[in-house]
Amino acid sequence: METRSRAEPQFPASPAFPVGKMVARRRKRVAGDLEAGVPSPPGYYAIPIKFSAKQRASHYLYVREHRVREGTQSAWPQKRTLFVLNVPPYCNEECLTRLLSPCGTVQSVELQEKPDLAESAKEPKSKFFHPTPIPGFQVAYVVFQKPSGVSAALTLKGPLLVSTESHPVKSGIHKWISDYADSVTDPEALRVEVDTFMEAYDQKIAAEEEKAKEEEGVPDEEGWVKVTRRGRRPVLPRTEAASLRVLEKEKRKRARKELLNFYAWQHRETKMEHLAQLRKKFEEDKQRIELMRAQRKFRPY
Amino acid sequence: MGPAPTGQQLRGATGGPEVIEPSFEGTGKKGKKPSSRKRGVTESQAENLLQPVKLSKAELYKEPTNEELNRLRETEILFHSSLLRLQVEELLKEVRLSEKKKDRIDAFLLEVNHRIKRVPSTPESELTDQAWLPAGIRVPFHQVPYTVKGSFHFLPPAQVTVVGSYLLGTCIRPDITVDMALTMPREILQDKDLLNQRYFRKRALYLAHLAHHLAQDPLFGSVRFSYTNGCHMKPSLLLRPHGKDERLVTVRLHPCPPSDFFRPCRLLPTKNNVRSAWYRGQSPPEDGKPDPPTPHYNTWVLQDTALGSHVQLLSNVLGSAPGLKDGVALLKVWLRQRELDKGLGGFSGFLISMLVAFLVSTRKIHTTMSGYQVLRSVLQFLATTDLTVNGISLCLSSDPSLPALADFHQAFPVVFLDPSGRLNLCADVTASTYHQVQHEARLSMTLLDSKTDDGFQLLLMTPKPMIRAFDHVLHLRPLSRLQAACHQLKLWPELQDNGGDYISASLGPLTTLLEKGLGSRLQLLAHSRPPVPEWDINQDPPKHKDSGTLTLGLLLQPEGLTTVLELGPEADQPEAVEFRQFWGSRSELRRFQDGAIREAVVWEAASLCQKRLIPHKVVTHLLALHADIPDNCVHYVGGFLDALLQGLKETSSTGEEALAVAICYYDDLSRMLWGLEGLPLTVSAVQGAHPVLRYTEVFPPTPVQPACSFYEQLRERASLLPRLDKPCPAYVEPISMVCHLEGSGQWPQEAEAIRRVRAAFQLRLAELLRQQHGLLCRATATHTDVLKDGFVFRIRVAYQREPQILKEVRSPQGMISLRDTPESLRLERDTRHLPLLTSALHGLQQQHPAFSGVARLAKRWVRAQLLGEGFSDESLDLVAAALFLHPEPFTPPSSPQVGFLRFLSLVSTFDWKNNPLIVNLNNELTAEEQVEIRSSFLAARTRLPVMVIITPQDRKSSVWTQDGPSAQILQQLVILAAKALPVLEKQLMDPWGPGDIRTVFRPPLDMYDVLIHLYARHIPRHRQAVDSPAASFCRGLLNKPGPSSLMPVLGYDPPQLYLAQLRAAFGDLALFFYDQHGGEVIGVLWKPTSFQPQPFKASSTKGHMVVSQSGELVLLPNIEAILEDFAVMGEGLVQAVEARSERWTV
Repeated sequence: METRSRAEPQFPASPAFPVGKMVARRRKRVAGDLEAGVPSPPGYYAIPIKFSAKQRASHYLYVREHRVREGTQSAWPQKRTLFVLNVPPYCNEECLTRLLSPCGTVQSVELQEKPDLAESAKEPKSKFFHPTPIPGFQVAYVVFQKPSGVSAALTLKGPLLVSTESHPVKSGIHKWISDYADSVTDPEALRVEVDTFMEAYDQKIAAEEEKAKEEEGVPDEEGWVKVTRRGRRPVLPRTEAASLRVLEKEKRKRARKELLNFYAWQHRETKMEHLAQLRKKFEEDKQRIELMRAQRKFRPY
Repeated sequence: MGPAPTGQQLRGATGGPEVIEPSFEGTGKKGKKPSSRKRGVTESQAENLLQPVKLSKAELYKEPTNEELNRLRETEILFHSSLLRLQVEELLKEVRLSEKKKDRIDAFLLEVNHRIKRVPSTPESELTDQAWLPAGIRVPFHQVPYTVKGSFHFLPPAQVTVVGSYLLGTCIRPDITVDMALTMPREILQDKDLLNQRYFRKRALYLAHLAHHLAQDPLFGSVRFSYTNGCHMKPSLLLRPHGKDERLVTVRLHPCPPSDFFRPCRLLPTKNNVRSAWYRGQSPPEDGKPDPPTPHYNTWVLQDTALGSHVQLLSNVLGSAPGLKDGVALLKVWLRQRELDKGLGGFSGFLISMLVAFLVSTRKIHTTMSGYQVLRSVLQFLATTDLTVNGISLCLSSDPSLPALADFHQAFPVVFLDPSGRLNLCADVTASTYHQVQHEARLSMTLLDSKTDDGFQLLLMTPKPMIRAFDHVLHLRPLSRLQAACHQLKLWPELQDNGGDYISASLGPLTTLLEKGLGSRLQLLAHSRPPVPEWDINQDPPKHKDSGTLTLGLLLQPEGLTTVLELGPEADQPEAVEFRQFWGSRSELRRFQDGAIREAVVWEAASLCQKRLIPHKVVTHLLALHADIPDNCVHYVGGFLDALLQGLKETSSTGEEALAVAICYYDDLSRMLWGLEGLPLTVSAVQGAHPVLRYTEVFPPTPVQPACSFYEQLRERASLLPRLDKPCPAYVEPISMVCHLEGSGQWPQEAEAIRRVRAAFQLRLAELLRQQHGLLCRATATHTDVLKDGFVFRIRVAYQREPQILKEVRSPQGMISLRDTPESLRLERDTRHLPLLTSALHGLQQQHPAFSGVARLAKRWVRAQLLGEGFSDESLDLVAAALFLHPEPFTPPSSPQVGFLRFLSLVSTFDWKNNPLIVNLNNELTAEEQVEIRSSFLAARTRLPVMVIITPQDRKSSVWTQDGPSAQILQQLVILAAKALPVLEKQLMDPWGPGDIRTVFRPPLDMYDVLIHLYARHIPRHRQAVDSPAASFCRGLLNKPGPSSLMPVLGYDPPQLYLAQLRAAFGDLALFFYDQHGGEVIGVLWKPTSFQPQPFKASSTKGHMVVSQSGELVLLPNIEAILEDFAVMGEGLVQAVEARSERWTV
């Protein structure tokens, strides 16, 4: 791991260097990099990727074989999975499949916001209720059918083109208009979705209630009986708010019984307390004044 | 900035020249204003943050000393609170002269005394023969008419005495002046000098000679003339020390006669001392009419004779009472902040000292009182006593030869007599000035009585310049026009009295005229006092017409502004004639509904913004009619900013009416919802949740009627879609509202299920509204869009318990507790806080009709500065609301202009770091609660957002500023506001017109690293731009509204969609700035921190590339590719990506 401070001394501080020249130098260096092979972090292989042939500069996908430490669970099959970093926002699953299929048949592509070992163990979310967020740069897990796909991908030269004549990818106005069209929902489909969900939900609730009813009043192995709200004598719900309320009530009851200003020491103490309050206020005020003075807030001109 | 290769490293350390940049390096705390540069740069910013006080137990509970107890008791008795006491002490320390400076001044005064005594005398000559004066000296006096009898010769003064505040120890910094009275020897003066300005001319010649000799002395850095209190009959000589002490002190020389030289009975207010025959050059009056009295002239002479006795009196009263001196100093500061103390007829420090002396003599003030108590008592007295009706007198004698108070009331508007009983100290004070003082005193008293605000700050530290204090301001220029006005108003006696000063002569009658004409529209009318000029001794004194402009400030009465009718008396009554005369041709006979036939004046005004400008019409009409001042001499500043709220086509309204129409349709729709039949649960509440419904949407929505050919049509879903080959269609933002459904056991208790049930309700609502009211509806899972009369409303169904269900967390023990989650907070904000806020602000608009204009101007400005994304709509509305609910030390604004100025001033001066902005909607918070809020704020400061706005509904968390602004954005806004305020105020106070009023609305673009230029074709709100384009694109709307069977395109704004994508992709690397109201450019600012080379990490590769630096591999943003991405992602919208700085070069 290198740090910034170690990287710094590399640059000679030469104030006379004209800016324009530096830019030129930078360009040249990039070109040189391309000839010599793109630098890539250890263990990764860099594949240039561009939106289309028109672009001059390219992003780099950093790819490696997906590996996990011994004993760690991973949802993706070892050997066959390619781990891809820095996938540009305009490159979606379909597009990535197309770009990597020359290396071998792609079984699945999963795009994620950040590296995550456990495959998102989710059933497909409803598009009505969970709209997909706007993508940024993502990471991808690409599962090939054969391990050879991975090794082939690790030698891809690139640059990969996201949008080509045969497979254009929409961007800008095109994309927004089609997104808008997609956002106009079909009420029938929505109705069907809601109905199926609610049916399943009702069944689930009914089953739960059934179970609760069966358990009602039946002692478990150790002989404990579960008391619920639905029983014959409903009890206080077990919520934090309710328990706090009870505590508060107790406290008030106790406070009512207490006598104030009865003993001489109590009297003395209230006086002292008052003085302490004043002192504290005074200190606070002094601090405020100090601050205001620092901000030169006492100049009426 | 260093050379390119090192640029990146340097950047972290030094910061570039960009305005916003330094704050990026801060630790997230707000930076300081540039004014604080005196403090060391190294000082850590944390020191500016108030920390909760921690005192050890031993310190808190130690035995009190006697001294401490005394001080505490004193504080309790003499001051409001200990904070106030400390503040007052600090202020006094700041304005008082230090002993060291005093010594230097004393030494200088001694020198001055010597030099004056050594000035040689001159031989006697006629007053009109001024050949003896050396060539370089001009007499500081307008000698009109020139011929006057009498002779003059110079003799050194019989006595030189220091008078005034320096002697009393009540002078305050800055501009220390020491007044010196030079008693002219008797030999110079003659018996009849009182007549026809002879005394004043001698006085001027005396000064001219003195000036000539003193100017040759190397002791003085500058020797100049000025007027005493702005009175042009009485020049005075200003001496300033030479060298580095030049700014230390100004010594003012006042020649005066021996105190018993003039017979007092000749100087009564009823006596004439300027003969008409002489003044107007006529032969003696033919009709035997007596000469008119010259009360002001007499007073000016009397003032000179009484200099010594007044100082005597004041030093007797104030001499041994430090509390009184403090009080006078505080009062002077108070007057100065209100611009009341300067110029002819100002409420000077001398006047206020005399008032203190009066209150001591009537035992309203005791000599042991503290400065704060003196301030309070004087304000109380001013607030409750009307000196224009009941004058007061310091005179104790009951000598019958003394004139009665009534005589003085005849001659002067304000009466306050000195101990001699002959001199009116308030002779030059006009009634308007006094009323202004009274008004200010009243405001200050209510402020002092309310315990919630920081009275000290508002009372003594907040300046109240005219343009920020008054709703409308008008300039009269050129001033020479007033000369004609004097003739039209027949003010010859006054001119004679004032020695030809037509401004002072006409001021009183003009203000009375306008006050009468504005009537119920006006709360207060104030006028500026001409500034006191200074000029070189070799120049002629400035002419009256050169003394700047006359500026009048109008404080309007919002209730009076709503009427367009000026109701006069019935036609057959004698007052009708007077009414007709007053209004001239504008007065018409009208028959009213109750059968009465009356004289009346009707002003044409349809919209609120036109009604607000009726005073303009009144003023120009009356001035032209009665004072012969044509309307091109009246520059009325009241509605210049309205242009920024007006649509391109609509110039007659600032949109309040259009908003009211939208609200009307909203009311209709909510009634429909209430009455809907067939919903499984009844509607329990319908609430608005959109800026339109609280009158704060910058550009009010208009009914839309889409031209179908312009769109792609999606018939099966009754919707229109934008078309690729057409420009972007008009932007239609649905007006959101919340529809609460009653609680019921049938609601599921699980978040996902509730969502489904809500969706079912949305569908059902759409269906029922279509069936029962024939409205076009479109339902989605979260809302239902309804097209009603061209307006689109977005109804969100809400279930009261849903936030709570989202919050529920079950602990392993089975205990259910409530924990806020982002989702629950969002839901609570949208369905609970937002409707409450919307209705509260809607109510505010009903009380203060200017609220809408102010809030919208403020929002417009913030967005025009490209900072709109950082601030939620609601937070800006609340800041605007604060101007109305907590206007102190002003009154609630009645015009958008003054409200906007105060918005800028509030934003730029408020200490967001150490204070929450409390917006006490509906006055629900008590003073105690506010104190508690403040203290809990301090304790929780680090956990709260940078900008904290507290409302009665939201006492802890500041809901509307949770997601921004960031410290940097807020800081940027503060800087911009601080820059915009003086620019705008200068423009508005410029008597010759504001120039380009949009200047402060144009954003500075030079600070951005990259500019993304957009095609206007795809900016739907292009026409709303600050500089409205001459031509724009057709947006697919028909002119005449009618029924539509297809839902228009909703919320489709390509620049916003583009920005959302940019932020998602590059939010870590850069900030994006854009004006949603038709901006054509997006500003991009790279975040310096993301340009540090970083070691490779799998999670931070986004948009970066690996670069080898001296054999090490580091991550850097792939700038070139990113710049190309900007163009790719905005294809069709982006015209050009302009990289402006090379800062990112590696």
